[in-house]
Amino acid sequence: MPAERREGMDHEHHEWSPISTRGKLSWPDNAKVALCVIITLEHTEWEAPEGSFSADQAGGLGLRPFPDYPRFSHREYGHRVGIFRVLDTLEHLNIKATVAMDTQTAEGYPYLVKHCQDRGCEIIAHGVSGTQMISGKMSIEEEVDFIRASLDAMKEATGLAPRGWFGTDYGESERTPGLLRQAGIDYLCDWVNDEQPYPMTGGLVALPTMLEMDDLFAMSNRRVEIERYCQSLKDGFDVMFRDGGNNGRLMTINLHPWLVGQPFRIGYLEEALAHIMGHDGVWAASGSEIIDWFRSNPPA
Amino acid sequence: MSLPPHRVDYSPIIERPPIKWPNGERVALWIAPNVEHYEYMPEQYGPRDPWPRTPYPDVQQYSYRDYGNRVGFWRMLEVLDQYKIRACVSLNLAVLEHFPEIRDAMVERDWDFMSHGIYNTRYLYAYTEEEEREFYRDNVETLKRQTGKQLKGMLGPAISGTIRTPDLMAEAGLIYHTDWMHDDQPVPINVETGKLVSVPYSIELNDSPLFRVNYEADYFAEICKRQFDQLYKEGAESGRVMCIALHPFLIGQPHRIKYLDEILSYIMSHDGIWQTTADDIADYYIENYYDQAVEHAQQFKV
Repeated sequence: MPAERREGMDHEHHEWSPISTRGKLSWPDNAKVALCVIITLEHTEWEAPEGSFSADQAGGLGLRPFPDYPRFSHREYGHRVGIFRVLDTLEHLNIKATVAMDTQTAEGYPYLVKHCQDRGCEIIAHGVSGTQMISGKMSIEEEVDFIRASLDAMKEATGLAPRGWFGTDYGESERTPGLLRQAGIDYLCDWVNDEQPYPMTGGLVALPTMLEMDDLFAMSNRRVEIERYCQSLKDGFDVMFRDGGNNGRLMTINLHPWLVGQPFRIGYLEEALAHIMGHDGVWAASGSEIIDWFRSNPPA
Repeated sequence: MSLPPHRVDYSPIIERPPIKWPNGERVALWIAPNVEHYEYMPEQYGPRDPWPRTPYPDVQQYSYRDYGNRVGFWRMLEVLDQYKIRACVSLNLAVLEHFPEIRDAMVERDWDFMSHGIYNTRYLYAYTEEEEREFYRDNVETLKRQTGKQLKGMLGPAISGTIRTPDLMAEAGLIYHTDWMHDDQPVPINVETGKLVSVPYSIELNDSPLFRVNYEADYFAEICKRQFDQLYKEGAESGRVMCIALHPFLIGQPHRIKYLDEILSYIMSHDGIWQTTADDIADYYIENYYDQAVEHAQQFKV
């Protein structure tokens, strides 16, 4: 449906709310910036099922005909090597990670589930695979089944019902936030439109990610160099830290271990995160910790 | 030669009578924030798909742009205010209806507004003559109702148009069109009735084409300063126009904003700048140079 010309948003998922008119959001210990680092662990299928949709950018050599050994294995690097580098970097800086994991990773790599849990990561849901996204092409039955299968598999693999959802390729239909809420999801990371959490219709809370700070968007889609990405993380933090003195900010950084976990890149990530964590007034927390705080301490 | 379809007479800049800005300034500087709204579920009308990444909705790209209205606009505003910039907004007019706080912030600052269509997801390409005529009527009426201002110009919605666009703009009482990237000075556009000029906009000094690929804001600052230096030098002989085009969802990102400050700090430290709007540039040019330019161009006709 084309937009109707009236005050507010042209959809029902959240209210219009310019940051200039909001009450003050205060973080624990009066932190100026809450830092949420999300690690996306997604499995690239040899062949996605017929009828499924993906907006995935290939990166590297681009999309190639089947069988695409370089693409498949480039992604697999994250599960075999990159994840451990990224987790070491975060742990070294006392940053708790939130891992967005798809069900094919959860079911196919039990080692990684246990490893992430042992290291204190929060695991949130990330659909079925890196090669199937929710889209407006899905019927409601397909979408309900997709969400249910994903959440059931995550509960089975991790022992816990995931509280957060981050869609593969930020994929949604018009129904997705409502269906996720009905399925028991508490917070949603797909909407990249803010620097604070905000309430969505029906009880979900948005934990907005920052598309510009997503390593895949920056380095694979836009092809920004790692040095420049590192500088953007530092510059972006500095301004959010300044602005967070008036009204608390949420900085989310979404990372893909196959990409930022490459040996030549990891040092730049460490440099940027060390810069951030070198400030007093940064609260590095998991998605659930941030959302729990936001629900109990709404902007006033 | 002139550009098809013979809308603009050829006129080499080195042969033109000099332009003098109102107080002898060298450069007319206008800042054009693109204040936009992209629809969540647009209807594709014509050849361009508003959201080509995925089936609709594309929540990633939709919310990326919505960030501009929720957060980026307000951060950009702080910097523009610091340099007392009176901006000329490239405006999706429905923003005035959807987001009154943004409307009020712009009206309070006495900014000027050129149309950028109604939504950035509704392009002109497939409009019939009557649909396009109705489009301008809606544009003019909406701006008047929401801001009290008379609409004078347009950057087509997402820079789209039809072959009839300049004629229909002029018929609706508009005096300038900024879709033409062909000059460093205003230039008459041939239309059936009235007078229409181009005012130089930029798809070079523009955060949108730069930041969708691998340029970053330090480069943007560097090219804006170099562009200014060159135009400032040339402007000593004959006035030049410089436009910096911004999008709040891009320049208002926390990692970019300091570079906007750097650009304005550099440029505004110079004397001889006419910091103005496309409305005022078009008015001044039509009043003082339009007839002369039309006549001068006759000698180059072939």
